[in-house]
Amino acid sequence: MSHHYVVTAHKPTAVTACVTGNFTSPTDLNLIVAKNSRLEIYMVTPEGLRPIKEVGINGKVAVMKLYRPQYEKKDLLFIITYRYNAMILECVNDGDSLDILTKAHGNVSDRIGKPSETGILAVIDPKARVIGLRLYDGLFKIIPLDKDNYELKASNFRMEELHVTDVEFLHGCANPTLILIHQDVNGRHVKTHEISLREKEFVKTPWRQDNVETEASIIIPVPSPIGGAIIIGQESILYHDGIVSVVVAPAVIKQGAITCYARVDPKGLRYLLGDMSGRLFMLFLETDGDTKELVRDLKVEMLGEIAIPECITYLDNGVLFIGSRLGDSQLVKLNVKADESGSYVTVMETFTNLAPILDMCVVDLERQSQGQLVTCSGAFKEGSLRIIRNGIGIQEHASIDLMGIKGMWALQLNGESLDDILVLAFVGQTRILSLNGEEVEETDIPGFTTEQETFFSGNVAHEQLLQVTPVSARLVSIQAKTLVSEWKPPTDKHIIIVTCNCSQIVVSTGNQLYYLEIHPNELILKGETTLEVEVSCLDISPLGENATRSEIVAVGLWTDISACILRLPNLDEAHKELLGGEIMPRSILMATFEGQDYLLCALGDGSMYYFFLEKHVGTLTDRKKVTLGTQPTILKTFRSLNSTNVFACSDRPTVIYSSNHKLVFSNVNLKEVTQMCSLNAQAYPDSLALATTTSVTIGTIDEIQKLHIRTIPLHESPRRISYQESSQTFGVITSRIDIQDSTGLNPVRQSASTMSQAMTVSSGVASLAMGKSGNSSSMVTGGSAEYGQEIEIHNLLIIDQNTFEILAAHQFMQQEYTMSLISCQLSNDSNTYFIVGTATVNPEESEPKSGRIVVFHFTDNKLVQVSEKEIKGACYSLSEFNGKLLASINSTVRLFEWTAEKELRLECSHFNNIVSLYLKTKGDFILVGDLMRSITLLQYKTMEGSFEEIARDYNPNWTTAIEFLDDDIYLGAENCFNMFVCQKDSAATTDEERSQMQQVGHFHVGDMINVFRHGSLVMQNIGETSTPTRGCVLFGTIGGAIGLVTQISQEFYESLRDLQTKLGSTIQSVGKISHQSWRAFHTDIKTDNSEGFIDGDLIESFLDLPPETMREVATSLGVTVDHLIKTVEDLTRIH
Amino acid sequence: MAVAQFLAGLPSFNENNFSKFYTDSNNRSASKRPSVYVSTKDIPSEQIIVTEKNSILLKYMQQHWDKKNVTKKRETPATEEPSRKRPRLEQ
Repeated sequence: MSHHYVVTAHKPTAVTACVTGNFTSPTDLNLIVAKNSRLEIYMVTPEGLRPIKEVGINGKVAVMKLYRPQYEKKDLLFIITYRYNAMILECVNDGDSLDILTKAHGNVSDRIGKPSETGILAVIDPKARVIGLRLYDGLFKIIPLDKDNYELKASNFRMEELHVTDVEFLHGCANPTLILIHQDVNGRHVKTHEISLREKEFVKTPWRQDNVETEASIIIPVPSPIGGAIIIGQESILYHDGIVSVVVAPAVIKQGAITCYARVDPKGLRYLLGDMSGRLFMLFLETDGDTKELVRDLKVEMLGEIAIPECITYLDNGVLFIGSRLGDSQLVKLNVKADESGSYVTVMETFTNLAPILDMCVVDLERQSQGQLVTCSGAFKEGSLRIIRNGIGIQEHASIDLMGIKGMWALQLNGESLDDILVLAFVGQTRILSLNGEEVEETDIPGFTTEQETFFSGNVAHEQLLQVTPVSARLVSIQAKTLVSEWKPPTDKHIIIVTCNCSQIVVSTGNQLYYLEIHPNELILKGETTLEVEVSCLDISPLGENATRSEIVAVGLWTDISACILRLPNLDEAHKELLGGEIMPRSILMATFEGQDYLLCALGDGSMYYFFLEKHVGTLTDRKKVTLGTQPTILKTFRSLNSTNVFACSDRPTVIYSSNHKLVFSNVNLKEVTQMCSLNAQAYPDSLALATTTSVTIGTIDEIQKLHIRTIPLHESPRRISYQESSQTFGVITSRIDIQDSTGLNPVRQSASTMSQAMTVSSGVASLAMGKSGNSSSMVTGGSAEYGQEIEIHNLLIIDQNTFEILAAHQFMQQEYTMSLISCQLSNDSNTYFIVGTATVNPEESEPKSGRIVVFHFTDNKLVQVSEKEIKGACYSLSEFNGKLLASINSTVRLFEWTAEKELRLECSHFNNIVSLYLKTKGDFILVGDLMRSITLLQYKTMEGSFEEIARDYNPNWTTAIEFLDDDIYLGAENCFNMFVCQKDSAATTDEERSQMQQVGHFHVGDMINVFRHGSLVMQNIGETSTPTRGCVLFGTIGGAIGLVTQISQEFYESLRDLQTKLGSTIQSVGKISHQSWRAFHTDIKTDNSEGFIDGDLIESFLDLPPETMREVATSLGVTVDHLIKTVEDLTRIH
Repeated sequence: MAVAQFLAGLPSFNENNFSKFYTDSNNRSASKRPSVYVSTKDIPSEQIIVTEKNSILLKYMQQHWDKKNVTKKRETPATEEPSRKRPRLEQ
């Protein structure tokens, strides 16, 4: 059986709808943004947008509208989902708590009916009398909004117009009146229909306008008293109110189709229009007549460039929200004056969006057994690579350039509780910085020496400061501002290692150890000893809450490579732990996490041992080892949120903390940190000072680890990505748009592939594209493109893994589309190649008839084409397969050998698919994802040199991504936003049974999955494995979500299923769509309850419940609430 | 007509909104997410939306039937009860 846990690691970010209104109260101005199945409610404030609440809906939002019933003082929210669940929501806000009430809900689907190709259209009458829905061709559904009936009876009206592009309600009509654009054989027409609620029919057509522009697509109803409607076409804009008709064809709008609009003023004189290429226009109605109610002219002006918009809404005072599906959404301001570039638009804020994720790869560039995800995100000018990494973020507040810092301490010279001094140690000297507000300047402290390197400095007992240098320990009175005591080792040896707390000091001069206590105005030697081997590190941190003294000292030793605990004051050995290996301990630390004492000991190779420490007897137990980095690591404690944390300074800085009595290791999003100290200064409260080899940074640290996203803009559409370790590069295939003009084909804008030509060896790339490809016999001369025609140009880009610089680009032929890309080694060839599969796209052909597989080698910063193979179709997918190249070409799967002459030679083929879109391999097995015939498992027979079809899933799934979960279990995603798991039954008795895969799991994700990749976002195999999960497959979606699927045991599955069922009934779904129906596998032809999957998103929402509800849930499941919290928290830690 | 005129006098709900907007040049992308709304209060909805399940063809025929009967009724005071046939509505 299959038991899986699926959870969203990064929620969808593509904005599909946005509205502005008074939702949370009559006086609040709210922005509501829909992202797939989630709503985000913001409040407009003087400081900008303030997030209020995020609301999950058990459905994918198709249309969202705010409206104001005549009896209401604030707006209500109407939503219809893709599965035809309609809901009316109200926000009730009693100051402290905010509730989203479902005022009305219901499913409005029909049993029969052809879903319209132009999608779900929903409109609300301006007087809020009815809601109109166009769901199916030929039908129009009306929901009357009667306040007094318990049932809102939706009824279907026959609509003779079949192909409706857009529909709206007209303003100022006695009865609700629709206006629509429809298409028939003659073109597009505008028509109005008056609705009779009594007759349940369209009773008359007040006016119509036949043969409007053939691309007319948007209706903007104009409010009363002007009335009428604006019809937006591709080249022209029409105003019509039944009597007056005004048409304009402004040249500026011709370049890209207008896709969305926002009304600016309530009277309806100004509208914002956004087009497909990301340009923002303003449309202005010029009115005439005595009452200014007659439209005389329409004016359109371009305001500037924005993100490619999906929806636009006007917020307040000239600020707009631009919702984008293809790029980062924006908050923009309109300015009365243009800037230097002629734009009236300023971007105020951007909202990161990964959507649509077309492809991604998991790489562990830092070799830290933690994956980073690099996604192909966005499209057109919004195309980018996004680097996604889990970790703790540092918010940088200040930075000072300083080289070679060896140590760093924050001091309170003022005797108050805030730090005002930063002591920095360098080789042979010390520098002291005073922090005065945000000002930093060099100063000195009377009694401190700056002629030596400082090993330690800090505030100590009795209002004194301590500085330890190689020569001596210096005690300074804060009050008297003078040196009050100095202690030097009795021998002339230099101090090498020192550790201090506020009342004790232990110093080492090699083998000798001295224990001193800090008293008023004096340092008193209380113990000394000589060890057999030299000391490499020391720690005397007091253990436990508010402790100021330690009874033990932790010592790391050279030579015998051990950690030992010595009792104070006599320095006799309590425990010794040999660490083994050849790497010396470099940093040792005692710390208390959640009441448990630990000893941490970091070695010179970036690994760290940790033990339970019994401080009264000094013994170490329960030894464990983790790898944190690759360089010597220095451990430092800091406090955050009243809990102890340890910062491991190394080439891979890590924060160590405890959760549920287990140590958790979390990456910090910094390249390297050599030293750190806590800093709580006036201008930098609760901060950290972090030193790198070249600078000091002051910043605050995030409380929890989360995904951090870095954007590498490409300004063209990335399609596939592949990582090549040998050349330390990413290969990315992209497409951009060129326009044919009088000088030939020219890029619409500068983008990664056009800019790289300047950066790479120009002769190589430019001539390669023209010369080599030009010689190819498969070249279809599309050279004679029409003037103004847009042509897709495909490129292979080679991008540096560290700098993300475009190192090279190879441009493919016109009409040649890149489809697939891998990096692999073939046969015995030692080179690693980038291999691209292409298709020659000819608009007349139903499917591509030819294509190429092109092998490239990136070496010495040059991209060289090594080989090419002509194929008879589109190469949808490529995979390395036991040193050979596997390709899916149209309906076939083909295996190519790599010959000694560096050529691809066909070895065998498999034909039993409609279109073989996806390939995955494991050992001798090949998984094939078909356009419409789900998945097939093939086996390669080495002896025969042929493929054998082992098993097939006979369900008609239109696959969008596939992956091996293990040898017998396969994961697939399909285009109705579901995921399924198939199992091969090798033990079945008959051949027939064996050849049929069992569908053992299915689940509705609610978003289209484009890519599955094995990998993890968190550190793997580190510390205790607390989560009972096995394997991890990450997925990326069209909505910009990242999720993961992991296997769990049957026992765990069953307990989580009980929790899921309980939560499904405990958590009240907004819109009253049951969790069970939302997660049911749903396609056009069937709906089956979800099976074999646990919905991690619901499970994790347990942690958001109030404590008493948590207790109730736990009690009903027969477990303790602490146990349940721990279980769920552990699960949250897998992403 | 200049663009400046287009953009003059943009509507304002509260003139203070966005007046204190502070752009941190380092960090322009919003990282703050709203807290997730989780409700455990089972508040029944005031209204439910139901959709008629019979096809528009049946509805059309029924309407015609009703109309015919209305005219018949005038001639022969009816014994028939067409009103018994009510459209099926799904709860």
